[in-house]
Amino acid sequence: MRLNIFFLILGMGIVTFLTRISPMVVLTRWALPEKIKRGLEYIPLSILSSIVFPLFFFNGEGEIEIQLHPLLSSFPVFLFAWKVKSLWGSVLLGMLIYWGLGLIF
Amino acid sequence: MEDPPVKNGMIDALPIVLGYLPVGIAFGLLARQAGLTPMEIGLMSLLVYAGASQFIAVEMILKGIQWAPIIITTFLINLRHLLMSSTLSLFFTRHRPWILILLSTQLTDESFAMAMSNPAKIENRPRYLFGLQGTSHLAWITGSVLGAFFGRLIHPQSYGIPFALPALFICLLMLQVHNLLHLSLIGMAGVLSLLFKSFLPGNWYIVLTALITSGLGVMMEKKMGPSREGLKGGIGRD
Repeated sequence: MRLNIFFLILGMGIVTFLTRISPMVVLTRWALPEKIKRGLEYIPLSILSSIVFPLFFFNGEGEIEIQLHPLLSSFPVFLFAWKVKSLWGSVLLGMLIYWGLGLIF
Repeated sequence: MEDPPVKNGMIDALPIVLGYLPVGIAFGLLARQAGLTPMEIGLMSLLVYAGASQFIAVEMILKGIQWAPIIITTFLINLRHLLMSSTLSLFFTRHRPWILILLSTQLTDESFAMAMSNPAKIENRPRYLFGLQGTSHLAWITGSVLGAFFGRLIHPQSYGIPFALPALFICLLMLQVHNLLHLSLIGMAGVLSLLFKSFLPGNWYIVLTALITSGLGVMMEKKMGPSREGLKGGIGRD
């Protein structure tokens, strides 16, 4: 195992552990402020958006360049995921369309 | 009342196992494509055990191992555990703190939802919950390692594999949408992330976008008010 990956995983494990146990240790005496509680609800959505959208407009080197195949493949996946809410279905559909686009142009 | 044996929890975990095995396999496959070894993949599923953040870490590792953004993003996306964990702690008032800590280490969205579907079942019954959560955790690790071994057989550029992670993120994102406010926040996060990525190094745009968008969400929910209850007028989640 590579040492840098090991420590990265360990670090991820420690911070995740903290999010799981801290209420028991802290919150019994100190209630979480309401605004922070509300903000927590929007974090996953914000992180996922900020991962998804740049995939369509930046290339692998981080330069601005429209990524036509990912962009076109994303539309049906957005729609499918929204309607059907299936993880595997979305992944397989996305892969199929992306693969198909590669065969066409 | 008696604490039912660990076995009862294990049986009740079966629906979660059915969900975790395939998603774990998907994680193992994709992590392997990103260059992680089966041992590293198994370790991550053992120590982190949080699906979305593991997929996101793989995506970020693909762009280069950059410590702070990966760890901060993991922390932020898992902060939602705070709410579940504090709810769970109310059900174990008669037990020592270390039992609660042990139970909390295996807390996930799915096992929490399962436990909360019948709170009477878990109230002061740590062995039951341990069976439920431990079995789910084991399924996640098993799936990841299986996926990691299969992952070697597949060429990373074939059959649309480069789009597997993006499609997964799109689906995870759409699962978060319950009302108009959520949709507007997605739009704003999209614009902000494009803007920040154009001048910030590495993965910092993710961290910055997440903090600003969540703040905007809190400010906007006052104005958009009722939309928080969902487009269908359903019951709020808190």
